[in-house]
Amino acid sequence: MRRRLLAVLGVGALILAVIVLVKVAPVGVAGQTSAATGSATKTAWGDPDLQGIWTDEFQTPLQRQAKYAGKELFTEQERAELDNQRAGILRRDQRVEIGTERDVAGAYNAVFQSIKHTGKRTSLVVDPADGRIPPVTPAAKQRSDADREFRLALLQATQTCKNHEAACAGGKYGPPSPRRAEIPSFYNTGRLNRSDNPEDRSMTERCMAAVLPDFGGYRRIVQSPDAVSIFYDVGQGQGWQRTIPLNGGPHLPQSIRERFGDSRGHWEGNTLVVDVTNFSPKSDFMGARENLHLVERWTRPDAKTLEYSVTIEDPTTWTKPWTVKHEMTRQDEQANRIYYEPRCHEGNYGLPALLIGTRAEEAAFAKGRGPNPATKDSATDFGAEGGVDALTGN
Amino acid sequence: MRNRFKSSLIATGIAAATVSAVVTVSMTRTTGQVSRTARTSDGKPNLSGVWQANNEANWDLQAHQARPGAVTQRGVYPYAYAEVPAAPVLALGAAAGVPGSLGVVQGDAQIPYTPAALTRKQENAAHWIDRDPELKCYLPGIPRAMYMPYPFQIVQSSTKIEMAYTFSNAARAIHLDKVEGPPDDTWMGHSVGRWEGDTLVVDVTHFNDKTWFDRAGNFHSDALHVVERFTPITPDALRYEATIEDPKVFTRPWKIAMPIYRRLEPNIQLLDYPCIDFAEEFLYGNLRKQQLVKHWEGETIVVDIKRKVPPGDRLYEWYGK
Repeated sequence: MRRRLLAVLGVGALILAVIVLVKVAPVGVAGQTSAATGSATKTAWGDPDLQGIWTDEFQTPLQRQAKYAGKELFTEQERAELDNQRAGILRRDQRVEIGTERDVAGAYNAVFQSIKHTGKRTSLVVDPADGRIPPVTPAAKQRSDADREFRLALLQATQTCKNHEAACAGGKYGPPSPRRAEIPSFYNTGRLNRSDNPEDRSMTERCMAAVLPDFGGYRRIVQSPDAVSIFYDVGQGQGWQRTIPLNGGPHLPQSIRERFGDSRGHWEGNTLVVDVTNFSPKSDFMGARENLHLVERWTRPDAKTLEYSVTIEDPTTWTKPWTVKHEMTRQDEQANRIYYEPRCHEGNYGLPALLIGTRAEEAAFAKGRGPNPATKDSATDFGAEGGVDALTGN
Repeated sequence: MRNRFKSSLIATGIAAATVSAVVTVSMTRTTGQVSRTARTSDGKPNLSGVWQANNEANWDLQAHQARPGAVTQRGVYPYAYAEVPAAPVLALGAAAGVPGSLGVVQGDAQIPYTPAALTRKQENAAHWIDRDPELKCYLPGIPRAMYMPYPFQIVQSSTKIEMAYTFSNAARAIHLDKVEGPPDDTWMGHSVGRWEGDTLVVDVTHFNDKTWFDRAGNFHSDALHVVERFTPITPDALRYEATIEDPKVFTRPWKIAMPIYRRLEPNIQLLDYPCIDFAEEFLYGNLRKQQLVKHWEGETIVVDIKRKVPPGDRLYEWYGK
């Protein structure tokens, strides 16, 4: 009888030890926790809990405007004043001659544009301290200049250039350029003024617009002990699913290139640190492609806030690394207001319509029944006209 | 006494197993070895990880004999069993065939179509290349996403289980908590889950009528309702069942079932299959200014096959060796 009691006690002690281990082990393994951020929300298995639907509810320009130099944060009064000014921007409500490209570009007028309240930061860029993206390298400058020159050549015969619109700045007006037959010098991701092939159109028009890093939209985070899943709702039905392994393994071989790179995560205290490499030459974040390297830091300073910072590095694009930081706010889980099915491609009538339309215009022109398609502009976004946003300066 | 001894042994055994499980967990966290507990910290079967069905269901849910090509045509004989591969897949030789299968439809192995729906299914099969949403890289829907020939990942938490699929970067969140459904029909459905013992039961609704069940033209309407059951057989294998109900297309509910296996490679991870890009030529190739495929009749590809045998590889040259 005593033996049985001892055995039971022994088992009980073991179970207790197990419970303690379960509760403590992850914290112990993760090390250096709580001191920094206090009692963070934890998952059932003891990891920091970043789960839920999150979005940045405020508008913050990527780079700091010159007029805010040396100023990192707005005062509450400044934010209210900026909100007041920005509410008056009508944007695409200007009507112009019906049937012109500029008029069509206004189809999505101010009704479709939501303006978020002004955020507390004067820029998303927090490093360098001036809130500006570091200068690009000479080679990257050469690349983007050559690209711009090619794009202007394709615009050359349009009204946009004839009328000296901003979109033609640096270009000239003239007959259709022989460069219209050229292949771009690297994989095109933006809107070319040409629809010879699907590849001439932008990644957005092809339903592949999403890039990493991303500072807008919604995220749904779901965690397990061995992975973090993030679904990105980035608008236009072009969201994407990301799964970050936490198993400590090495990055993919260099030969494997992924649209959103290869992510490897680990916990440092209450922060999820993710290293991202192996980007594809087809992915384009502000001109950075296969050499892009990101170090992301995800942490939850309080129950309602998710802080995201990312250090962006590409020695073939920028002269030094830079860091973006912003805060997201937890959204109501039950309301489930996330557009979690990215079905842009399934309903993409726009892309074939652009191609069909251009083929029809070519046929009509060949028969002398319409203008040369090269004189039309399907690349310029006229939509931003109609007032400068005091916050962004655009 | 013997019973007592046995029971305390069992209890110790359980405790020891739990301890070793905990040890395993911390090993996972510190050394990066892939190993996991059979149960989550809240006592549910641990489904987290990368999985894949290993069967022929994506070709045809029903039992079928192997075929020489995904697209075939009449050869010499007028019999269906003597057909030969047709142009769209001919250049791929024996790699383009369809493997046989015992089928995954339960009970009498029949799919209970209404007469009108059966006609539509047969038309779908005959026009597979033109109609199957898989070829266009459209979202695969449920249950098809579960048995396509690509790995998928489960990220299991307490109130949500995310399933991320390789094909088309598709995903779904299974809600174990209370959420509002989507305001519109969807390709992947709206998944609400609950645990019944060790079985994860998922009720999937809010479907559109655009996804298929397989490459054989099996289809449904927007009245589709799927109830899935995931039951662990071992920590590395699940029994997957899906009960399919759609009164507009089927005369009664019917069920498919299959095992789904854990991918045990220590470095397994999902890799991108960016098929929107892959399908552009198929979808829009006829709209290029200079077409890559030389024979389009409207939106129909007329395929010319050119198979060049390199020098030294001709049949008579093999015999000469």
